[in-house]
Amino acid sequence: MKNKVLIGICIAIFLIGVIGSALVLFAPHGTKVNIVQDGAVLYTFDLSVTEDQTLEIEYNGRTNIVQIENGKIRVVEADCPDKTCIRMGWLETGSLPIVCLPNHLSIEFADEREDLDAVIK
Amino acid sequence: MNVKKLAELSILTGIALIIFVVELQIPNPFPIPGIKLGLANIITVYALYHYRAKEVMTMVFIRIFLASVLGGNMMAFIYSFFGSVFCLTGMLLLKRFIDEKHLWIASVFGAVLHNMGQITAAIFIMGTGVIVYLPFLLVSGCIAGAFTGWIAQIAVHRIKGNDAKQK
Repeated sequence: MKNKVLIGICIAIFLIGVIGSALVLFAPHGTKVNIVQDGAVLYTFDLSVTEDQTLEIEYNGRTNIVQIENGKIRVVEADCPDKTCIRMGWLETGSLPIVCLPNHLSIEFADEREDLDAVIK
Repeated sequence: MNVKKLAELSILTGIALIIFVVELQIPNPFPIPGIKLGLANIITVYALYHYRAKEVMTMVFIRIFLASVLGGNMMAFIYSFFGSVFCLTGMLLLKRFIDEKHLWIASVFGAVLHNMGQITAAIFIMGTGVIVYLPFLLVSGCIAGAFTGWIAQIAVHRIKGNDAKQK
C-alpha cells in the first residue's frame, strides 16, 4: 500500500517533468537576448537588428566565444572541460537558455526571463 | 569503525570512482547540464541499505570530492555536493518506509532530490533563470533513478546469493 502511494508520487513527478518540459520547449519567445554572468546582465542584443559578430567573454581567465549570425546566437568556443554550451547549438527553443556552468555564463531570451521571474515572485 | 568496515567502504568508494570515470567516457546525448545516468549512485543506494548513515555520508562526500578532482572540474563539486546533501537526506528518511525489495523507488526519489539540489546550487550561482531546467532534470532523474535503482537491486540480490553460498 505504502509502496503504491510512493510509486504514484514518482509517476506524478515524472508527469510534472514531462508537462513542464513541453511548456518550456514550446514557450513563445521574442528576439531580445541577454548574456548573463553570475546573475548580472553583461550584454543585451535584439537579434532581429544585430549585425553578425563574435564576442569574447572572459571569466577568471577562461573565455567563451559567442557568435551572432543571421539573427541567431550560439557559443562557438569555450575552454571549459565539458563543452556542453557548444553542443547546445543555436539558442532557439523557447526559454531554454544556453548555459556554461564552469564559466558562470548563460545566454537567454530576455522577455522570457521577466515572465519567469514574475511567476516565481 | 572497525577495520573490516573501513576496508569495505574504501572498496565501495573505489568502485564508485571507477564507474564514474567509465561513465565520463560515454557521450551524453542530451546537451543539458546536469543530465546524466549517475551510475556511481548504484553504489550509494546499495551502501544506504547496508551501512550506517554516517558511514554512507562520509563515503559519498569523499567520492564526489575525488570524482571532481578526477573529472578535472571543480565547479562540478559544488553542484554534486548540494545534490548529494539533498539526495542523502531524502533517502535516509525514505529508508524507514521503503524496504530493500523496493530499492528502486528510493533511488528515483534520491535522483530527483539530487537534481533539485543541483538546481538550488545553480540558482545561487547563476540566478533564477536556470530554473527552467528543472522539468527536464525531473524527467531524467526519474528515468536514471529507476535504472540505477534497478541495477542496485540486482546487485543486492546477487551479493546475497553469494553470501548464502559461502556459508
